[in-house]
Amino acid sequence: MNADDNRGRSRLYAKYGLSGPAAVVLLFFFLLVPLLPGEFWTIVSTEILILGLFAMSFNLLYGYMGQISFGHAAFFGLGAYATAMVFTRFKTVGGEISTPDFLLSLLAGPPAAALGALIVGFFCVRLTGIYFAMLSLAFGELLFYIVFSWYSFTKGDDGIQGLLPPLFFQDAVHYYYLTLAIVIAALLVMWRITESPFGYIMRTLRDNQRRAAFLGINVRLHMLMNFVIAGAFAGLAGALWGPFSRSVSPGLLGWQESGIAVFMALIGGAGTFVGPLLGSVIYTLLQAVVTMFTTYWPLTIGTVILLIVLFVPGGVLGLIEQRIKSRRGQAANAGHEAASGTGKR
Amino acid sequence: MDLSAFTIQLFSGLSRAMVLFLLSAGLSLIFGVMNILNFAHATLWLAGGYVTYSMFDFMSGRFGASPWLLLPAILGATAVMTAAGFALERFLIRRTYDRELPEQLLLTFALVLIIGDLIKLVWGVENRRISLGIEPIEMLDTFVNPYHFVIIATGVAVAAGLWFFLHRTRFGKIVRAAVYSRSMVSALGIPIPAIYAGVFALGVGLAAFAGGVFLPLLPMSLGVDHDIIVQCFAVVVIGGFGSMLGTFVAAVIVGVVYSFSILFWPDGALAMVFLIVILVLIWRPWGLFGTELRS
Amino acid sequence: MSTTDRKWEALIDNLKVSRRDFVFTSLAAGALSLTPRFAGAQTAKPYKLGVLLPSTGTGANYVENAIKGIPLAVAEINAKGGFLGKHPIEIVYRDDQTKPDVGAREAKSIILNDKVQTIIGTYSSAVALAIEEITHEHKVLHIAATSNSSKITQDNYSPYTYQFCPDSNMQSGAVVVAVSKMVKKNNWKSYVSIGQDYEWGRDTHKGFTTELVKAAPQAKEIKQLWFKLGETDFTSYITAIMAAKPDFLFGAIAGKDSETFLQQAGQMGLFKRVPFPGGLISVTELRQLRKTLPRGIIGLARCPFFAHLKEPLMQKYIKMHRAKFGDDNYPDDWACMHYDAVYGLEQAINKAKSIETEAVVKALKGATLDTCRGKRTMRDCSNQLDVPSYVGEVWDSPDYPFPIYKPDTMIVVEGHDVWTPKCEDVEKLKKKRA
Repeated sequence: MNADDNRGRSRLYAKYGLSGPAAVVLLFFFLLVPLLPGEFWTIVSTEILILGLFAMSFNLLYGYMGQISFGHAAFFGLGAYATAMVFTRFKTVGGEISTPDFLLSLLAGPPAAALGALIVGFFCVRLTGIYFAMLSLAFGELLFYIVFSWYSFTKGDDGIQGLLPPLFFQDAVHYYYLTLAIVIAALLVMWRITESPFGYIMRTLRDNQRRAAFLGINVRLHMLMNFVIAGAFAGLAGALWGPFSRSVSPGLLGWQESGIAVFMALIGGAGTFVGPLLGSVIYTLLQAVVTMFTTYWPLTIGTVILLIVLFVPGGVLGLIEQRIKSRRGQAANAGHEAASGTGKR
Repeated sequence: MDLSAFTIQLFSGLSRAMVLFLLSAGLSLIFGVMNILNFAHATLWLAGGYVTYSMFDFMSGRFGASPWLLLPAILGATAVMTAAGFALERFLIRRTYDRELPEQLLLTFALVLIIGDLIKLVWGVENRRISLGIEPIEMLDTFVNPYHFVIIATGVAVAAGLWFFLHRTRFGKIVRAAVYSRSMVSALGIPIPAIYAGVFALGVGLAAFAGGVFLPLLPMSLGVDHDIIVQCFAVVVIGGFGSMLGTFVAAVIVGVVYSFSILFWPDGALAMVFLIVILVLIWRPWGLFGTELRS
Repeated sequence: MSTTDRKWEALIDNLKVSRRDFVFTSLAAGALSLTPRFAGAQTAKPYKLGVLLPSTGTGANYVENAIKGIPLAVAEINAKGGFLGKHPIEIVYRDDQTKPDVGAREAKSIILNDKVQTIIGTYSSAVALAIEEITHEHKVLHIAATSNSSKITQDNYSPYTYQFCPDSNMQSGAVVVAVSKMVKKNNWKSYVSIGQDYEWGRDTHKGFTTELVKAAPQAKEIKQLWFKLGETDFTSYITAIMAAKPDFLFGAIAGKDSETFLQQAGQMGLFKRVPFPGGLISVTELRQLRKTLPRGIIGLARCPFFAHLKEPLMQKYIKMHRAKFGDDNYPDDWACMHYDAVYGLEQAINKAKSIETEAVVKALKGATLDTCRGKRTMRDCSNQLDVPSYVGEVWDSPDYPFPIYKPDTMIVVEGHDVWTPKCEDVEKLKKKRA
């Protein structure tokens, strides 16, 4: 990708940093995916989008606010379960669901996750750094065990099956475009948030909390708001997951699932807006391809992460950006200052 | 509930507590000194168990089966894994000291996946176990496993040994000083990297030792580490990062609470543990016995 | 040869096994299916057989032999040219990691990408249920040969799913037959249940308690203990059981946890104090815990080879398995059931005279199949194979290097005697799915 070739792109770059051109490229890629032969790649791309949204919601906390959450999957899972339960309630005896009911059940995810995030966040925002990470992990595990043990309400480890969307959305391509539309809408909202004064307060909190407090910013309140927003977007991703996978299970809330969001954000580049989405592309595609050849997927992805941490700090997008910047030798302008940090605490 | 049932439940809780302490001691030490949260700790514990198994198996073939062979097997595995820990620090962990916290976490996370799969490559998916021919003994109107006494004694001995090491030896004192002020220790001309390598190797050695000690109770199998690491974190968080006394007390709290939850509210046992973690983190984020971390 | 040499040889052998596992699992067991290419001219479309089994998690221990058993059956069929003599079987193996969402994803991947026509496998019932959603939707045959929650064939019934393992209700029913006799004989009044907190554990426990109330109402459950899959320390559970002083203990524990539990409970003398009738003790446990398993305890098995030594198919399979994997490597329950699954599929294909899934599914409906367990018929309403459950006493046999069930006291409970509920109730449960 050469940003210098084209004036239009160049302007895009000037305004949005590398996220601009990267977003355009990704958008083209995503719009054209269903043209690829084989339903399989459409399904993989749906997964990329859902997990990408999940990873980007995580990055609101990490990349923008500078706190690492190891319990973020709890909100992904809460969203998935809320949708699954409403979905099941709406289902007819024959197991069918009408399109409006289905869309309504998707709407159940974000508020449920936001509510969970409000409670968890209330405590988490009192802490920073490693304590924030540990408390979010502990809350995540607590929510996991609640879903896991509360058999009469959540069906425990069985999970909830039979989340077959209405006939029209059973088609992989249709569900894909539904997901794409929702994810694009969510990303636009997210972009607005991160570029708003609120978003800049987050960056201030990331870079220097004490200074933010001196400026009269209510640190905890703003952190909590961001936590809830991130939780709601994770819940939206979770809501899309259930009908996509046709079932949900408690593992969606566990710390290993949280780890996936962290992986994606750091692989793609946590300091950039679309980095986590790119991370999802890399991670999910790699998984789809590697598991075709070997069951040693953990070894493969572990090695990839190791190499990224050692040699590509800042993630793939972060690396590209650094290269461009150093070649141009120009200082970062205000427009893409957002994309410059690698998530300073 | 009668007194003997109470005592036995307390006993089983203490046994679980010592299991948790042995598992968490190394984790706490590494975190306290190096500020690195090692996700791979339980995976290294598992590897230690597998190595102990292989050594025990090999020696049984060489010298004839005897339960006492477990002792050299554990020591051998501890030595091997300590060396492995040293190498890990030297070639991987050391590169991330000047990095952000998440990158360090991610590195150890990657090690969980890599080491787990390497164990699968070497030992296959079948469980590995040893049999010492342990017979239950009668006590307080019920039966207990005599090996639990070994576990409890080992836990107390390791705790005492660590205390002696940290408070009475030169290296230990330096390590303790490094918990409080890295720069001060460095300014005194003590090479911090050497301290770190030693501490990391020691932590991994402790994990491997624990793996060997549990082998007679628990067949080694893939994936156990994923469940155990979260419980280790719970213990370390409650006790306070870097505080050996805290880790010990926290292990006792978690073990006993878990044990009695099973008696009264079995479904909530694990949730109880995380509830304690949350309460501690909210009330005293640095743990019961920890000191607030340097920034 | 000195002991050292022998030990080294064993070590090397051991390494070979793991390397072979590596080949099996990673380079696709299809390697074995390369053998039938002799009939090049006649070879038609290959038959893609999907296998989804975990290589980590609590079930991995059972699955090891199943992963060995399937390629063995496949190699044998391929030696004849494949299904119908012209469709060589290619195995597509994937690791479901004992996680439902991973299982669902891998199922989609092999259905859409590799175009598998049948999926055999899964250990965890929760994974089986998640996969069933996918196979049902894509109209792919799904053969369950280990996961046995009754929900798979009843509440979540799919016409594409066939069950080759006695389901949890049948297994519990068989235990109830044995336990209710013991309750009456010993005048037992109370019991404690301990189970794995997941689909199968819950389902097995429910099946047992509902049936026992009918068969032996005097026995009351005084405590339920549920533990998370992968528990490593049962000490507190075991002391809690002993503190409750029940007349007997019922367990719904399988896989690695079963081994851990049996080992720790044995070391703590639980079985000296509390009888433990009807816990799952398959050939896997009998072989692996040959030293520590308390003799005389009553176990439950799903498909133990020693119960069907007279069946020609079983004889053939034992011979093949031992020839391939070593003389004292007898096939366990899981290997036999997966072998049956592959042979059942072949018989259905022969009957349908086609490899088209719809025809094969139709041929399996109500079919009578030759299996390691003799001639067995599919139950019409739930596609459950009418296979027995086995309850017996762990006993040292002179014929094997590990204990088996004592032949003269072993109870073989036929599937059709204990499958519940009745077909009309199954129909009601099935209604949920369109």
